[in-house]
Formats: sequence, C-alpha cells, structure tokens
Amino acid sequence: MDDIDAMFSDLLGEMDLLTQSLGQESVPPAPLPSADKEVSYSIGYTDLNESLNELEDCDLDALMADLVADLNATEVKFAAQKEVLKVPSLPPPDLPPPPKGLSTDPASSLASPASPASSASSNVSTSASSTASPLPPPPPQVSKPTKEEMEAHIKADKIKLALEKLKEAKVKKLVVKVLMNDGSSKTLMVDERQTVREVLDNLFEKTHCDCNVDWSLVETNPDLQLERTFEDHENLVEPLSAWTRDSENKVLFQERGEKYEVFKNPQNFYLWKKDKNTLKDMKDKDKELLIQENFCGTSIIVPDLEGVIHLKEDGKKSWKPRLFQLRASGIYYVPKGKTKSSRDLICFVQFDNVNVYYGKDFKGKYKAPTDFCFFLKHPQIQKESQYIKYLCCDDAWSMNLWVTGIRIAKYGASLYESYKTAEKAAVSSVWTNRSSSTPSSSNPSTPSPTIKAKSPSQANGHAPKPQQGPVSVDFGNVPPPPPPPPLSVFPHPTPSLPAKGSSKPAAPQRHLPTNFPPPPPATDLLPPPPPPPNEDDALEAPPDFLPPPPPAVGFGSLPPPPSFNSPPLPPPPVSFGGVDQSLPPPPPDPGFLPPPPPMFTGAGAPPPPPPPPPPAAVPGAAMRPSGSVKKMPPAPPKRTTPSLQGGGGGGGGGGDFMSELMLAMNKKRVV
Amino acid sequence: MAAWDLSVTVEDLGSDAPPVTISVDSGLHVGGVILKLVEKTQIKRDWSDHALWWEQKQRWLLRTAWTLDKYGIHADARLVFMPQHKPLKLGLPNGITLRLRACFSSSVFQTVMGICRMLNIRHPEELSLLQPVEEKKKKKDKNSAEEIYDLTEVPLSSASRPCLYNGMPAHFADSPQMEAIYKMLSVTQPPPAPEVIAKQYRAASVVDKAHIHGRWLDSSRCLLQQGIQENSRLWLRFKYFAFYDMEPKYDVVRLTQLYEQARWAILLEDIDCTEEEMMLFGALQYHISKVSQSEPQMLSSSAAMDDLETALQSLEVKMEGESSSASEMLENMTAPELNDYLKIFRPKRMTLKGYKQYWFKFQDTSISYFKSKEESIGEPIQQINLKGCEVAPDVNVTAQKFLIRLLIPAPEGMNEVYLRCENEQQYAQWMAGCRLASKGKSLADSSFQSEIQSIRSFLAMQKTSSGTHGNAPANDESLNTHSLVSPRYHKKYKAKQLTPRILDAYQNVAQLSLTDAVMRFLQIWQALPDFGLSYVVVRFKGSRKDEVLGIGPNRLIRIDLAVGDVVKTWRYNNMKQWNVNWDIRQVAIEFEGNINIAFACVTADCKIVHEFIGGYIFMSTRSRAKSDTLNEELFHKLTGGHDAL
Repeated sequence: MDDIDAMFSDLLGEMDLLTQSLGQESVPPAPLPSADKEVSYSIGYTDLNESLNELEDCDLDALMADLVADLNATEVKFAAQKEVLKVPSLPPPDLPPPPKGLSTDPASSLASPASPASSASSNVSTSASSTASPLPPPPPQVSKPTKEEMEAHIKADKIKLALEKLKEAKVKKLVVKVLMNDGSSKTLMVDERQTVREVLDNLFEKTHCDCNVDWSLVETNPDLQLERTFEDHENLVEPLSAWTRDSENKVLFQERGEKYEVFKNPQNFYLWKKDKNTLKDMKDKDKELLIQENFCGTSIIVPDLEGVIHLKEDGKKSWKPRLFQLRASGIYYVPKGKTKSSRDLICFVQFDNVNVYYGKDFKGKYKAPTDFCFFLKHPQIQKESQYIKYLCCDDAWSMNLWVTGIRIAKYGASLYESYKTAEKAAVSSVWTNRSSSTPSSSNPSTPSPTIKAKSPSQANGHAPKPQQGPVSVDFGNVPPPPPPPPLSVFPHPTPSLPAKGSSKPAAPQRHLPTNFPPPPPATDLLPPPPPPPNEDDALEAPPDFLPPPPPAVGFGSLPPPPSFNSPPLPPPPVSFGGVDQSLPPPPPDPGFLPPPPPMFTGAGAPPPPPPPPPPAAVPGAAMRPSGSVKKMPPAPPKRTTPSLQGGGGGGGGGGDFMSELMLAMNKKRVV
Repeated sequence: MAAWDLSVTVEDLGSDAPPVTISVDSGLHVGGVILKLVEKTQIKRDWSDHALWWEQKQRWLLRTAWTLDKYGIHADARLVFMPQHKPLKLGLPNGITLRLRACFSSSVFQTVMGICRMLNIRHPEELSLLQPVEEKKKKKDKNSAEEIYDLTEVPLSSASRPCLYNGMPAHFADSPQMEAIYKMLSVTQPPPAPEVIAKQYRAASVVDKAHIHGRWLDSSRCLLQQGIQENSRLWLRFKYFAFYDMEPKYDVVRLTQLYEQARWAILLEDIDCTEEEMMLFGALQYHISKVSQSEPQMLSSSAAMDDLETALQSLEVKMEGESSSASEMLENMTAPELNDYLKIFRPKRMTLKGYKQYWFKFQDTSISYFKSKEESIGEPIQQINLKGCEVAPDVNVTAQKFLIRLLIPAPEGMNEVYLRCENEQQYAQWMAGCRLASKGKSLADSSFQSEIQSIRSFLAMQKTSSGTHGNAPANDESLNTHSLVSPRYHKKYKAKQLTPRILDAYQNVAQLSLTDAVMRFLQIWQALPDFGLSYVVVRFKGSRKDEVLGIGPNRLIRIDLAVGDVVKTWRYNNMKQWNVNWDIRQVAIEFEGNINIAFACVTADCKIVHEFIGGYIFMSTRSRAKSDTLNEELFHKLTGGHDAL
C-alpha cells in the first residue's frame, strides 16, 4: 500500500513538474521561432503575417498539451492506428515540389495534386496525446493522515486525477491542411472529438466567408476519383484516419449546393415524379410541410426513389442496367421477371457499413455510360476493389436524387439537425460579417480549402508536420528526440521513391521512445549509425529550427534527458539544435536548402510503423547501408510489445508503473 | 289532449316479458314517459343509464324534454327501454379479447373515446371500431379456449381523464385481477406460435385489404344504429396512421397496442416488406419479448456505466487487499482477453490452404495469432483489427460447424477470413467478441456477456427447432423463429436457417431498451413505403374498370389494380375541396391547378372514404397548444357527411 501511494504521489509530482516546466519554457521562446519557419514552408510563403496568425490560431495550448502528454498513451493509440494504416509507403516525393509551390501561386500549388511536396508537407501530423491541462494541484495532501478513510479518499482522488490525465492523453489529434478555392490553404489542429461542424465554424472564423449553409468539407481521393462531402455531424478525424500514408487525398473547403438542397427544395426529392415546372413554383408553405412530414415525424421518411441505374458488376468491366429502389433499409433491385412487390426485391446494399461518394470522370476511367456516377464503399477502402459498388445514372438530376436519398436513409435525423445548426450559424454570421466583412478582403467569396491528406499514421507522431507539425514535433520529439524527424528526412532527400518503398522509415518516426527506456541503449549504438548523407540534409533544416532547445530543457528535468537526446538517431539533431552538435552528422546537412521542407513532409509520412525509437534507427540503416544497421537491430525489433508497456515517461520506477497502470486503465476504459 | 296507450319493452324484465303499457298523451315529454314506466315496473334500482330506443326509426330518444309529439311518436311505435351502456366483446390489437361496457347510444366517436379512457389510451381520435372478419367454423372450439378479460364492472366515469394510481387508472388498482388486465394491456404479448399465425386470416391481395377497410363503423352514428347488439364482437384498431405526440411516459398502453397492431400487420403481410426488413422486424420482436419478460414496466435501462468509476472501484478494491503487489493488481485490472486455439482460413491467400490451427489472442478490438501458445509472447504472425469489419455467422449446430466469417476492410478492399471454433461455448465467446469489436467496442464492454448470452440462446433455438418440431416445450429459450416472421418465410426457410439471419439483424438492436426497441419497430414500420395506406376499390368517373384508391395520412394514390403500380398521387395540401353526392354515392375532389377527380366506391360505403379523408385532415389540424381538448365538433364537421349538416 505504502509503495503504491508513494508511487502515485511521485507520479503526480512528476507530471506537475513536467507540465510546469513545459509551460514555462515552451511557450515563450521555442514555439514561435520554429513555428515561423515551418509555417512559411507549408504555406508557401504566401504571407508571413498570415502564417503567423495561423500559428496563433492553432491552439498553442493544445500543442503544448500534446507534448506534455504522456507519450505512452500516444504509443498505445498509435499502435492501434498503425494497424489501420499499414501501408508503409512514404509520402510522395516531396522534395522537388515544395520549392515550386513557393514560387508559384500558393493556390496553384495546392490545387495541383501533382505537387507532391506540398501534399507531403501538408500531411497530417498527428499528435496524440497528451494531457494537457495543468494539473489541478495534487489533491490536498493528507490533512488527517490518521484516518483510513481520508487516505482512501485521497488515494481515489489521485487515481482519478491520473485517470483523467490518461484519458486526455488518449485523445487523438490530427493536423489537417484544408485547401481553399483560391488555392491557399489553412492548417488546423483537429481532435477526434470534433465534428465537421466545429471544424467548419473554425474555418469560418479564419476565412471570413459568408458562412452560408453550403460551405462544406469535401474529401477527394484521386486514386478512386471520388468526392464526398463530409456530413456536419461526423467526426472529422475518423474518416481521415482511413487514408493511407501516401495518400493523395485532400480536404477541400467549398460551397456545395447539393449538401442541403433537400431542405431548400424538398419537393425535388420527395415529389420527384411530378412535373418539374410545378416543382419550381412550389410555395414555401408546401415546402415547409414536406419537411415536416418527412423529417419531423416519429420516423424519417426516405424519398421513394425508383429507376433504372447502370451497375458495374463486381469486378466486371461492363455496365448493366437494373431497376433499383431506395428504401429506408437499403437499396434493392427488382430481379428479372419479378414484380416490383416488396417481397420480391433483392437487397443490393444496406448502409450500415458504406458511405456514398460521387465519382469523377468515370466515363473515361471505367467506360461508364455517363459521367453521372456515384458509388458505395466502406470508408476504409482507398483503392480500387471489387467491394466498391459503382452506379451510373442517366443525368445529374437523378444522381443527386439518389445520393441525397441514400444520405437521408443513412443519416436520418442528424442530417436535418445539422442543417438547422448550419442555418443558425449562417444567420448569425450575417450580422457579424456585416461589421467585419470589410476588413477581411482576403477570401470573402472564395475561401475554399483543400486539405491534404493527413496520414493518420502520422498521428503517431510528431514528426511530419511542417507547420504545426514542427511545433508539436519539437515537443513530442524532445523526449524521444532522435528517431522520427531525421529518419523521415533521410529517405526523401535521396531517392524519393526508394524512401517510399521502404516502409521502415515510418517506423523510426515513432517517437514513443521518449518514455521508453530503450533510448539510452540506442544512444550507445547510435554513434555509428549517423547515416551521413541524410542527416546532413536534415541538419540544415534543424538549425533553423533551433527553437526546439527549450523543450529539451524541459526534458532535462527528466531523468534521462540530455544523454538521450544526443544518442538518439540523427533525427534528434534536427529537432534539437543544440543537441545536434554532439552528433557527427550535423555538419553535412547544410547542403540542402530546399530540402528542409520536404524533409518534414517525409517525416510525416513514414510514421506508421509501430516500433518506436529503435525502428527509427533501422530505417536509417536500411536507407544507408552504413553500419548503423547492425547496431540498430537490437533495440527496435523486439520493441513492439514492450513499447506499449513502456509508457512511464514520468520518472524512473514510477514511470514503469505508471505506464502499466495506464495500459490497464486504457483497456478498461475502452468500454 | 287525448290519452293513448304506449307499449314499451323493458329490457330488464327479460326478453319473454310482455311490453309494459302506459297511458300517455302527445304532449308528454320523454322524461315523463320514463318516469311512468319506472313506476309501473315497480323495480327499485338505478335507472339513470336507461333510455328509450325507437326501433322502427332506429334512434334513441335522448332528449327528455322533447314531447312525444315532437319526436313524432304514435301508438304504433315500438319502443325499448334499456341501458345505454352494454357489454361488448372487444378485440384488441394484441389479439386479446376484453369484455367491457360501451356506450350504445352516442356516436361511435364518443364510444371510442369512452373505451380509450377506460383503457388509458390517449388520442382516441386515432382509433375506431372495425367489424371483425367472420371466423371460420372452428370458432366453437376456439371460443371455449379463449380467455376473456372482463372489465364490465368498471364504473362509468365521465371524467375526461381518469385519475392515475401507480401510473395506471385507479380502477385497475382495485384488485389483482384488474392489475393483471392492465398488465395485459401494457405489456407486449409473447410471439404467437407459428400455427396461430398461419391460421389467421390474411389478406391475399389489395382487394382483400380493401374489403377489410369497408368494415369500419361510422363514427357519427351509434352502435345500435349500426346493428351492433349487446355482446357483439368488435375490433378496436388504430385507424388513422398519424400518431400524435407519442410519449412513452404517458402512452404505455397506446404504444404497446400500436406495436401489437404493427407486429400483426407485418406477420400477416398486411403491409409488404422486404426479406431484410422482415428479419429486422423478427429480431426486434425477439428482443422486445425477451426484454419485456425481464423488464415488465416500460422503463428504459440506464445501462451507461461510468467506466471511470468502475476502473476506480476495481483499483480501490485491489488496493485494499493487503498482500497484493502492483503487478497482481494490474493483472486484475487488465482488460479481458480471449486466448484459444482456433482454426483460420483465408480464401484468397494461396499460402493457407484449408483451415490451419493457430493460437489466437483476442485483445481490445484486435485478433492476433501465433504458431502456438508457447510463442504467444512474441510477435504475432498477424494482427487483425476488427473495427469496422463485417461479421457473419456460418453455423450448423447438428453438424457441429461453428464458423465466424469476417470481412475486414483495408485500403485495398475487404479481406475475407474464416475462423473455425470447436464448440458452442468457444463460438459464442469469440463471436460476441467479434461483434463488439466490429463496432469498436472491446471485450471489456458491459454488453459482452449479454452478447454471449444472446448468441447462445439463438444457438439453442436452432437446436430445438430442428429435430423435435412441434413437440418441444415452448419455454422461452427454445423460441421458434417461425413465430417472428410471416408464413411466407415458414415455407421458404427452415427455422434453423432463419436463426442466423435473425441473429444477424439482432446484433444491431440487442442493446436497445424495451421502449427504444418498440419505438424502433414502429419507426421502421412507418418508414415502409406502403405505410399508412388504407385501400378502397373505386371506379373513377369515366373509367370502365375498377381501380384502387389508397388513402394515406398525407395523400391519396391511385393504383392500377392489375399491375399494382401507383398511377397518380394527390396530396391533401393541394386539395381545395371535396364533396360527396350522397344520392349517387360519388366522391368528388378538387385539387389546385384545376384538377378534378370523382369516383364511386365499390368495396366500402362512400361515407367511409369521406370519413378517412376528413379524418386525416382533422388529424393534421391538431396542434400541441390545444392537444388536451379534442375538437369533436370539428371532427364531425369534417367527417359527418350530410347527417351532420
């Protein structure tokens, strides 16, 4: 008992220390400088001031919190995520593009998917983690130690505190790049509890657009030539987590009239059989009634769509017409030679596990009869697959009818709720905008954002993000300094392709290590590894980033601080300006001027692999034949399991216990 | 004025007793007649409910101040003196028959209000009385077996709202018998035996359905005027499918009876649905019957467990243990896992042909497998996260086949994986784990055990319903899945084939509380395309063939009788006026845009059609503000027809 008590107080004490030290140090010096540079990179220098503003926007506190957060928790999360993300491919060859992006209009760079660099850089860096809020002062220490009750109470309080921290630490966050219509972009930190609506509100603030209900976040996937408007009630992080690491997917901020068209002109959907002219003249009163009937009753009524749609059969190239019907329970078709009676219908698909997407240019890609295609797939499917159901309508009108009908069937009441919320936001914005509209000249009408794919994998960590990433990275890295950033960088600089191929790089990214004991050993090994070339490149970048040092300081408080930093893989150097010096590689870095940005991007991409620090080393090794490889192996390989448990970043023995506790708690909490 | 003799039959004297003759004159008012009559019989009792019924004219003489002259009664009038409230056998939507005293002298609309008041059903305007379909000859033996709940002793009250006692009207709290009746009203009935479903009358076509709708009683006339005698059998049913202000807290009986009506509509294919929908309805029925046994009152379960609290608790408990070390403690708090040897088969991978055995570990929402138990500490051969995957059973109890089919989403598509379990026990656990994981829940989820339970009870169903069909005792564990679907599926599938399909649908509803499950059932029912349509065969003006008119809560549809296609839809909100020409029995409706339709009714009186249209318009005028008082006058204005004018 005593032991445990002592451990808890230790832990709490340590956490407090951590938070405090981070709070002080990080806030002032480190973040800003680093932020500036990074921001400019990703944004393409569009506007320094703007980028600065952005930085402010993105919640510094949140970033801080992440850093503070228990890395262990992060690890756990990551491990889970990684599985999903398995694809190891690195972000596209980013290096070259970034510069271009800079030179060209920001918009153009963004718009063109081709610019890999930008996309790469934009990639999401997720930081999972951390707890953030300053801890409430540890429960008042035992005032009356004598009573057992009191003790028990205090114990409970402490545990509660610890649990809360753990919970907070588990929240997943992504840095999302949203592309606007004008080609510019906005970068946001989104945590997994945020809905699309909240993100939109956030964007409204940043863009000063008119906030009408049509503004949407749109997902695009060039591989599948798809487009989908996120629903306002969805959590944004979840669908983005399904993206593969090397994904070219983007998130756009656009006005999409079809999103809520059904509430503006319900007659077009519910009375679609009627003469189109009469529909046009529909009275508002009647529209209102239609909405009442279909969305405000005990049950949501789905438009009774029925019609011939061309279906691309599983795996076949041909399109065959079939008579489909939409019902609340799914899409059905009428089998040949049967009547349209309900009992004869064959279920084509139900909506529980699929989303509906618009297809772009399927006429060209799949020889579809028309370009008015939509399809249904599990959100996690990102590549062509026989499990995707392709459908082709005769015209845009019926395509919208079906897609909207399916959305009503799938989302039901939430759709209408979201619309009402959006309407409110639009109305209130009218007033605020009136006053503020003049000043915001930048993107009144065309603030559309495109989001670059954020690889969920990056969530792991820290590394990748250019803009916010840096900040977060720095913090995150501090503890686990070495591996992530540098590694990623390496691969990219040289042959971008190879880098992708080697899934390993990702592994390194895992920063988890911070907490882990392994780092120290790694350090020993590391000396040799310093994969020269890569690091060099990386190094250049680092200097700029000097800011990181502060974080290091914070770590200093931790037991293993300085030593860790130096030993870690090349990456650390980058992050820690000061530290790097100790390493041999730094010097070479200068070579790359442009590369720096890419490097980050690269880092972002790789994250997936689970094994924390050691892996990092491995990747490096893989890339460069240098002896480092040999050394690396020992630490990383086994890591997988241990890493999870390794959590206790806080303090020595306590840390271990803590991590175990967290693990256990997490499991419990999963419920 | 000259006095003359008026003979009146007094029902209470018995049917054989001769009429009582009294001497009256034409200026005597009805009240006076009754007074004389009562004096003459010399019976002392409460006559307050009695009134005079004029047989030839089929009308009640309820205005006691009117004189005989004013009523036009002469010596040849045959009058009957009888109570206005008489017993009636009332078939409820749940199939149970009640005997209760209903008013025979006021309009059916008011009679229904009275019945609903007694039964504690709000919004009586949505219900009405239907003449039952004649039962076949077996009636005799069926009647003897049928239990009739007797409510005739309930005192008549005129209060618009009964006072409640323990959440039910006070008269149900009088005795255990009465409480049992209330329970019958407010708790859903267990699924009927398949034979019972098969024996019920089923409307085979839309024309059959139209004939049923021709049996609604006229709301503006009284029971006696419509030939309903004492102790007749009538059905109480929801007639207008516009359910206003449904509030589970106050509407226990209403909700239960509505559910029962919907359930029977599905089971008897009164409304069509697809196979998938039928399975979901079946799963909901199963769930509702299961939950209502354990949770008799409609209480919503407050399941949401605070995981923080529980985690804390377990932690604390552990800490109290004196000798517990930290590691022990952690062990105890560790999330549950499943570990076992299972066989795996991946159809698409060339590397694995057939089933191969591995040591499997189920943790959190993932399955990982190892070569053997001994190697399970190391790196797994593969780890599969089941979040978002599809889980389907492939089970044959008699053949001892327990397969779990997983479709696991990945960026490239779906990966198919089969897990083979050795026995029922193992299967139930792993299947439950997979189901939860597919929804992102871990084994630590509170629903894990109940999920295992429901899988096992479904397996049990499969066992019993296969071999000993018919003989099996009908305990709840061995529910026959044929009880949950319409007879069409009895022929199409064996019970054990149905089991996995219903179980499949069941996983999406298994966590619902009773009320939520009932509401879900009603929602899905209301979302069916044909929901709320009452059919009448009509002949449109200018047309030579019969067609079907479907009357819905918000629209009229014209259906081609031969093909079954909807030809035309008219919405009430476009309707300018409708008229009934009572002489030629024709309904004429005018819609905006100069659209005029007219039709004669074939399977129902045009009063029924008139009442449906007027009734739905009335339903749409109800608003929350005045929901307490029923605007009866407006209802009659809209539905009454020429009598009311």
